[in-house]
Amino acid sequence: MGWMDFWIVLVCCTLTIAACRVIPLFLLKGRTLPDGVHRALELIPPAAFAALVANDLLTPGMFDAGLWPAAAPLVAALLVIVVARLTKSLLWCAVAGVAVYALLLML
Amino acid sequence: MNTREDISQALRAALPIMLGYVAIGIPCGILCDSIGLNAFQAFLLSYLFYSGAGQFMIPNMWLMGAPLASIIASVSFVNTRQVLYSASLAPYAERASKPLAFLFAYSVTDESYGVNIARFREGEWSVKRATMVNLFSCTSWAVSNAVGVVLGSYLGIPLAIASFAMTSIFICLAATQNLTAENVVAMVFAAAGVFACKLLGLGGVAVLLGAVAGVAAAFAFGSVRAKRAKREA
Repeated sequence: MGWMDFWIVLVCCTLTIAACRVIPLFLLKGRTLPDGVHRALELIPPAAFAALVANDLLTPGMFDAGLWPAAAPLVAALLVIVVARLTKSLLWCAVAGVAVYALLLML
Repeated sequence: MNTREDISQALRAALPIMLGYVAIGIPCGILCDSIGLNAFQAFLLSYLFYSGAGQFMIPNMWLMGAPLASIIASVSFVNTRQVLYSASLAPYAERASKPLAFLFAYSVTDESYGVNIARFREGEWSVKRATMVNLFSCTSWAVSNAVGVVLGSYLGIPLAIASFAMTSIFICLAATQNLTAENVVAMVFAAAGVFACKLLGLGGVAVLLGAVAGVAAAFAFGSVRAKRAKREA
């Protein structure tokens, strides 16, 4: 990624996230969001995170070259779900996920 | 309330986040190195943009060959969840000065939101301390990213393993959502939408379109259920 592309991504992404972070806090002093808007906003985290997980784990034709090692990230992912439900800790999930995935790739 | 006490309380609250950001920031820096960003660029991105999910998405999508516009749109959409945090923190920032409220709002992330909102609800917490928690966390994130870039160019850590740190975090964030019927519908349709996009050769916009499909499906599902419940009542 060259400097030009870097600046475009940095400026655009910083402006959109800053707007999302700052504007509601200043607009909403003492007011609440309309019900429909609030419902839609609440649905964004589960949808966005599931989409990100699916984007990382699922690719059409991923098993064309055989079940293993294509299934390794899926097995590691299942284990991370267990760790997530038990600990609710981002740190433990990252550590467990990387360790298990690295071990599975060595098999 | 003296400043030294504020700093020590804020540091205590921020420490778990700071350690977590070291563990996640280094792989993120390694990924940034793989798309040719230097340590200064990673540091700048971490301080100004300051979004873990976003900073993993940028190199991942870039490596998949997604166009810039799609990267920006997808990253921005995923980050709209910040609106919720900002809205829910508004009551606590009512009495803070405008510059402090701005800095506080600007530096919120998933993790520091979680830590600060819990303390605000218990009482005994100020916008000043909460902002310090944000800034300590941000500093740890930015330094770890820069270190990751430097390490990335020396160590040959495989990209697939470094990026699985973020996959694991996304899994954690998805798996710890409340498993209400609506949320499950949102997740299933979002994942299916991503897969469908990839099948159609739309990999570059898969995250954005998949997430929008998930929100739309769950919103429609919730509206139908609410209407039916009203009719039966």
